[in-house]
Amino acid sequence: MKQEIHFVTGKGGVGKSVIAAALALKLSMQGKNVLLVELGDQSFFKDFFELGEVGFQPRSIKPNLSLALWSGESCLREYAQYLIKIESLAKLFFDNAVMRAFINIAPGLPELAILGKVTSGPRKYGPPMNFDAVVVDAFATGHFKALIQAPKGMAQAVQFGPMGEQSRSIINVLKDETISKYHIVSLPEELPLKESAELAAAIKEELSVHPSLVLNKMLDVKVSRETLQKEEQNSSSDLGKFALYLEQQLDRQAEMFKQAQLQHDSIKQVPLIFELDAWGLVEKIVEKV
Amino acid sequence: MANRIFDNTNVLVCVGSGGVGKTTVAASIAILAAKEGKKVLVLTIDPAKRLAQTLGIEGTNDVTRVPGQNFKGELYASVIDHKKTFDDFVERAAQKSEAVRKIFDNSLYKQLSTNLSGSQEFTSLEKLYSCYESKQYDLIILDTPPTKHALDFLKAPQKLSALFTEGVAKWFRDPEGKKSGFFGHLIQAGTRQVLKVLETLTGSQFIRELGDFFLNIEQWQGKLLQRTIDVQRMLVAPTTRFFLVTSFDQAKLKEAEYFSREIRKGGYQLDTVILNRVFPHWLDLRVGYEGSTAEQDLAELYSQMKSYYNQRDAIYRQFETKMSQQARVLRIPDLVKDISDLAGLEELSTLIREQETL
Repeated sequence: MKQEIHFVTGKGGVGKSVIAAALALKLSMQGKNVLLVELGDQSFFKDFFELGEVGFQPRSIKPNLSLALWSGESCLREYAQYLIKIESLAKLFFDNAVMRAFINIAPGLPELAILGKVTSGPRKYGPPMNFDAVVVDAFATGHFKALIQAPKGMAQAVQFGPMGEQSRSIINVLKDETISKYHIVSLPEELPLKESAELAAAIKEELSVHPSLVLNKMLDVKVSRETLQKEEQNSSSDLGKFALYLEQQLDRQAEMFKQAQLQHDSIKQVPLIFELDAWGLVEKIVEKV
Repeated sequence: MANRIFDNTNVLVCVGSGGVGKTTVAASIAILAAKEGKKVLVLTIDPAKRLAQTLGIEGTNDVTRVPGQNFKGELYASVIDHKKTFDDFVERAAQKSEAVRKIFDNSLYKQLSTNLSGSQEFTSLEKLYSCYESKQYDLIILDTPPTKHALDFLKAPQKLSALFTEGVAKWFRDPEGKKSGFFGHLIQAGTRQVLKVLETLTGSQFIRELGDFFLNIEQWQGKLLQRTIDVQRMLVAPTTRFFLVTSFDQAKLKEAEYFSREIRKGGYQLDTVILNRVFPHWLDLRVGYEGSTAEQDLAELYSQMKSYYNQRDAIYRQFETKMSQQARVLRIPDLVKDISDLAGLEELSTLIREQETL
C-alpha cells in the first residue's frame, strides 16, 4: 500500500492542530499505522495532550498513532548523517556555530529538509518510515506557501548535484494526488475564508492539486428559528441574549458557507464543540474529518 | 508597575502567535493613548484590508495620519514594507553603489530579503528603530509578524545576525587556507571539511552562490552588528515594554507562562498579558442560569456553553494568580464581529480600559 501524506494548514488560530490530530486519530482507528508530525522547535501537543517530551523520533501516543516534532535543523541533520555516513564528520558539521546559524536561516533549506523527510517514504529515500499515513500539522498560510515553494526554488537555483535531484523528486510526490492530500482549515468568518481562498489558489497553482476545505467551529443548532425569536423577546436574560447571538451567528455562518462553496470544490464541516478535555475534543471531531 | 499599559513608555512591542487579534489590539491601545493626548504611531505588519482602509494605510507604506480621528492627541499608522526596509538598510550600510548592485542581483539575497525566516522580524525591528530614532512620536506600538510561537519574534533577529557576525565570509574568501600560518591552517582544515560536507549535501553550484553572497555582504557586517546593539539597547530600555496577546486554551496559557519567564531572562519587560476573545461579550459569568420556560434544546445548549465558560473561568483565575508576580493579566471578551472601523476599535479600546481599571 502506498503511504498517504496529509498536509493540514490554514490561518493562524483556526484550530489546525486539533483538526490534524483528529484526522490522524481517525486514520489510526481505521487500522492504519499513523504518524502525526508537528513542524518547528516547540510542540503544541506536548502541553495540549499533557505528554512528556516530544522529539524528532516518533513516540506512540495512542494505539497505531505516533507523534513527532520535526524542525528544519533536525531533518537536515538526519539527512546529512544518512548521506555522509560518518557520524563524526556530520557532528563536526552541525556543531559548527556558523553552520548552525546558517542552517537555521538559509533560504529554503530548512523547508526543503522538512519536505525531504516528510516525503521520504514514497521516495524510498533515507531511513525507512514504517507508517501507512503521515499527517503533518503544517505551518500557517504564509509559511506554508514558502514551504511548498521551496523545492522549486531550490531546483531552479541548483540545477545539478544531489540538491537539485532531491528537489525534483520531492515536487513529484507533492504533486501526486494519490499520495499527497491538502486540507485547509478555516472558520466561517470573513478574514479566515479570504485567506483560505488565496491559499487554495496558491496551492493549486504551485502543485496542480485540489486542496479540500475544513470549516471549523460551525454552530450546530437544532433549535428552530421561531423558538430563537420567541426567546429573544426576553432580551434582558442571558438566555435571550444567547438566542439573539445564535440567530446572528447562524445568519452570518450561512452567508459565509455560501461564499465558501463558490471558492472550494470540497468542504467538510466541523461543529463548534464545548469541550475542555483535549482527547475528548479530538474524539468528538473524528467523525467529521 | 504602570497603571496604564502605556504609562512612562515610548515603545510598546505587541507579541503573540498568529490569529489571536494582535493587530486589532495594538490599534485599539494606540487609540487609547491618542485619546489621552499622546502622539502615537502604530506599525503594522499585514493588516486585514478593511482595517488598513480604516487606518488609511491601504496601498501605501508611508506613515499616514489616520483619517476621521478626533482625539486629544494624534494617531499615525504605517505598514512595514519588508523588502524596502531591507534594501534601504543594505544601501545605507554598503555605501559603494557597485557593491549594492551586486548584492541586489544575488539570487540568495532576493530570498533573504523577502520570505526567509527571520527576515520579517529583522525588518520590523529595523523600521521600529528608525522611527524611534526620529523622536517624532510619544509612543510607538509595534505589531509583530505572525509566528507560531510568541517567543519566535525575539529569537529570529538573533538567528539572522549570528550569521552575519560570525565571520562566515572569511571561509569563502579563503577556503583553502593558503594564507594562514600553522595554527590558522589547523582551523581552516576543519572549515574545509565542513564546507565539503555542505557541498556533498547541496552541490557545488549552491556553494558558489553562497560564497558570492557572503563576500558581498561582508563589508556591512560591522554596521549590522552596531545596529543590532542599538536595537537591543532600545528593547531593554525601561521605557520599552512588551505585551503578549494570546488566545485562551491550556496550551496557550502554558506558552504564555513560558514566554514571560524567557522574556525576563532576556532582560525585557513584560508588562501585560492580554487574553483576547475569551468569552462572548454578552455572557455574564457571574449570573446563574435563571428559570426553564425556554425550549429544552435551547436551554441545554445554553447550559453546555455556560458550563464550558465557567470551567474556563476557573482555569483563568489560576493563571491570573500564577502570573500576578510577573505581569498583569487582562481578559478581553469577544465582541463577536469583525472589528474594522474606528468605532469598532474604540469599542475594543473601551473594553481594554475597563479591564485595566478593574
